[in-house]
Amino acid sequence: MYDKHILTDEGCRSIWEHGKKVGYCVNLKINYYRGLPLCCIDEITLEVDGEKVDPENMLLQHNGREYAYLDIFRDDFPTDFYWLFGEKLRVVVKKEGGIEQGRHRVKVTLGTRRSYTPTMVSVCEKILTFA
Amino acid sequence: MKTNHDIKLGVSLYSYQDNYYFHKHDLEGCIAAAAGAGAEGIEVFSDAMIPEWPYVSDAFVDKWNGWMERYGVEPVCLDHFSDRAMWKNKQLSDDELFERSVLYIKTAKKLGCSVVRILHNEHIGLGISPYRLTDVKIVERLLPVCAEYGIMMALECHAPTTIDDPIHEPYLEAAERLGLPYVGLQADFSSYEYCISSADVGMVVRQGGTEEILNFVREKQREAYFKGEPFIYDEIKSTVEKMGPNDIDLQFLRRHTRRTGPASYEVLKKYASKLVYVHGKFYDIDEDGQVDNIDYPKVIKALADGGYKGYICSEFEGNRRMNDAGWVDEIEYVRKHQLLMRKCLGYEQKV
Repeated sequence: MYDKHILTDEGCRSIWEHGKKVGYCVNLKINYYRGLPLCCIDEITLEVDGEKVDPENMLLQHNGREYAYLDIFRDDFPTDFYWLFGEKLRVVVKKEGGIEQGRHRVKVTLGTRRSYTPTMVSVCEKILTFA
Repeated sequence: MKTNHDIKLGVSLYSYQDNYYFHKHDLEGCIAAAAGAGAEGIEVFSDAMIPEWPYVSDAFVDKWNGWMERYGVEPVCLDHFSDRAMWKNKQLSDDELFERSVLYIKTAKKLGCSVVRILHNEHIGLGISPYRLTDVKIVERLLPVCAEYGIMMALECHAPTTIDDPIHEPYLEAAERLGLPYVGLQADFSSYEYCISSADVGMVVRQGGTEEILNFVREKQREAYFKGEPFIYDEIKSTVEKMGPNDIDLQFLRRHTRRTGPASYEVLKKYASKLVYVHGKFYDIDEDGQVDNIDYPKVIKALADGGYKGYICSEFEGNRRMNDAGWVDEIEYVRKHQLLMRKCLGYEQKV
């Protein structure tokens, strides 16, 4: 399947606001053979250089919209915002000072709930270069 | 390429998932690939390949119709999914799941499909899905909707079940009782696998399995099938154990040695005229152009002799078994598969 490809090496960089680095981002692709509503994401856990990212500080950006990561777990989250098959979901981590340019070890754990199989958890670990 | 055959050939766009996922081909490219293989029908995978899903606009439908015209193909089936476990701590109610299913049916109609592959609760038997999928009660409510839109719901009878498995019966009974004949059986060739596929052997070996053991079991299954005998795993179990299987081997073999052979071709022939749709499933094609673990000439002959009228769509599932090793040429696999099916049916080879 796509486990090796869920963590892409595209677009890893610090996020700038008003001339300051306020965070950084990585881009994920889905671990299933179709798109899923964002609320069918069971888990996204990020570890950067061995340190777990606090989910409170994570935002998701996809298809022109931004969501607080924890909001997708709410019982009333809209069911028609899809994570498109093959398209990147940007995970933004809010962090003063962003991330140091260069190589970092990133590990992502992605769980998705699907129609007819138990929740699939995929783990992908890579050294990524951040701009 | 349009024909007037009773049995028509199509392609499920599921077959091209890697091309789409890795942005080699967009939806139009996948449709063009199917047409290039000589297919005349398209099975739409709307959750994967229609970026507007779940709200398909008229502008998209125009574009879609244009592609059908340009490539000389027609829409056949749309795949329904049943995302019951919508939220982390809450599931869709039956009413909500019904409502979503209506959306699939309306979209199928909009795109010009005549069939919706419905993800019914028993499609892969019971005990695998942790959630209750689209069950008889929901399908019963969908029947009048299908009557209104002229859409047939196809119950995909996937392995380990078969078309004559009584677990699919209650759906047909409901249609009979209501006088709304808008649900029928769909055969999936996974029921006719007679041995482990070489695609599976490759994948399991890359995960740490033992090639010698897996190929030994595969050979024994083939031997039994071609001798016309049932495959009984217990008869070779002690030999396998002496070969020193590891946990990965044992886990795989537990799941792939239960069946004694393919489902009955006689039953397929008997049911053929009642089937509403067929999935031509395959994982790998050998050097003779045959599917390496399903006896296509026999399966297709049973369908033709039994008077099946409708589509068989190529459903290539080798991608997910082989793509850990590198690029899988889905387009070429499907082309060979269509060629094989045309050969089995005695159709002219134009491609």
